[in-house]
Amino acid sequence: MAVEKTGSRTLFSKGVDNFFESTTEMSRFTVNVFREGIKPPYEFKEILNQCFEIGIKSFLLVSVTGFILGLVLVMQSRPTLVEFGAGSYLPAMSSISIVREIGPLVTALICAGKIGSGISAELGSMKVTEQIDAMEVSGTNPFKYLVATRIMATTIMIPILTVYADTIALFGAYTGANVTDAVNLSFYFNRVFSSLSFNDVIPSFIKTVFFGFAIGLVGCTKGYYSKKGTEGVGEAANVSVVVSMLSVIIIDMVVTQISSMLGYL
Amino acid sequence: MAPGVSQVAQPAIEIIHLAKAFGSKVVLRDFNLGIFPGENLVVMGRSGIGKTILIKCIIGLVKPDSGTLRVFGQDISKLNHHELDDMRMRIGFVFQSSALYDSMTVRQNLEFPLRRHRRKKISHSIDELVLEALTNVGLESAIDLMPSELSGGMRKRIGIARSLILNPEIILYDEPTTGLDPITSEEIVHLMLELQKKYKTTSVIITHDTVLAHEAANRIVFLSDGIAYATGTYDEMKSSNDPEIKQFFTR
Repeated sequence: MAVEKTGSRTLFSKGVDNFFESTTEMSRFTVNVFREGIKPPYEFKEILNQCFEIGIKSFLLVSVTGFILGLVLVMQSRPTLVEFGAGSYLPAMSSISIVREIGPLVTALICAGKIGSGISAELGSMKVTEQIDAMEVSGTNPFKYLVATRIMATTIMIPILTVYADTIALFGAYTGANVTDAVNLSFYFNRVFSSLSFNDVIPSFIKTVFFGFAIGLVGCTKGYYSKKGTEGVGEAANVSVVVSMLSVIIIDMVVTQISSMLGYL
Repeated sequence: MAPGVSQVAQPAIEIIHLAKAFGSKVVLRDFNLGIFPGENLVVMGRSGIGKTILIKCIIGLVKPDSGTLRVFGQDISKLNHHELDDMRMRIGFVFQSSALYDSMTVRQNLEFPLRRHRRKKISHSIDELVLEALTNVGLESAIDLMPSELSGGMRKRIGIARSLILNPEIILYDEPTTGLDPITSEEIVHLMLELQKKYKTTSVIITHDTVLAHEAANRIVFLSDGIAYATGTYDEMKSSNDPEIKQFFTR
């Protein structure tokens, strides 16, 4: 059933009302995602299509960013480490920083900007041009076909993109280390892998799943509930980027805190 | 009532005391109407008066607050998800904005309802049905184009072709000539009438276009203040002394 906004009355202030309205929408949306997503028939073809649209098309952007990130990290940290006589810790320091924090966070922030705004603008313009209604009258549950598939795709693809970005960033770091010193590739990566443990990789991977879910959820919610008109679509895309980036940072903090409490740090 | 319109049959669509409001804004108050098989009913009224909401209620896109809405004798509000889908296979909807899926070609747009209505038994192959639908609207050559490559009139035609592809018994048109030049509007009207004659559909047409109303309507309903304010033929409406109707038809 199409969602129609009813007339509004201010209860507290406009900002507070908007916050509660937005939280309610998001909660209702999350419940619907699980309810519709687990019910057969499953939209496997559309999930694969969205994985391609969302994930595969982001590989180049993530590659460039990851490589530069690793390179710059090493080039900037090296002088300080050398000053303290800890130059040999460069592979360990860069790999732990990249795998634990910088890789997942930067990939998620890039995806929040690229994918979150894209989903939001696409669903918003589909709503404005009645394409969502057209789907519904064509025997398709738009929630299942458009929303659940996109959230599933971001939840699958952002962890994969992160693992890829981490790998590219480690190569960037190796390149950075080679700018000043001649470092052997196998030696460098031996040091990288010997310094990484289960406790570094798993919590970091788990948080990327939450990042992916949050980016998909925020993008879809803002697009699906966007106001009519082109201005509404633009605003939805904008708000989607801000909220999903903020969500990523909050999730990062919460997961780090929980990992610390469980002894994974 | 015009020839070809069944006067004794049960109404294809029966609307009784329908009401719908959005917050404090009452759109439909006490709307009553029967639409008979084979009829071309035109719904007219000022912008924002609730005409689109009315046809969205008929197809179950908007849920009315109260009242009864029966389509083929079945109460829309009592249908479950699958029954509503089955009902929608029998109703075509031509959207005001055509609502073609931007990310799909014309072919994929037309295939979409055929592939998605899982329980529909299709007698011909999907390719044959797509081609037949495009031939009906004279746009066979547009089969592999994207919607962004089509003109406004072409988009309308493809929208009509998509709504006809499941061979529906009722077609709901939401302002089919809005935004088109007079010549293209005329072509769309002729196409609608031709297809109605060929497939013997019942049509509900929402419009402001008095030329379309004149050419297509067996009966016109004038919607005002949330009710079916006046009903009659085009000539009856045009000669009405009611100030609101008079203003609408003589502008």
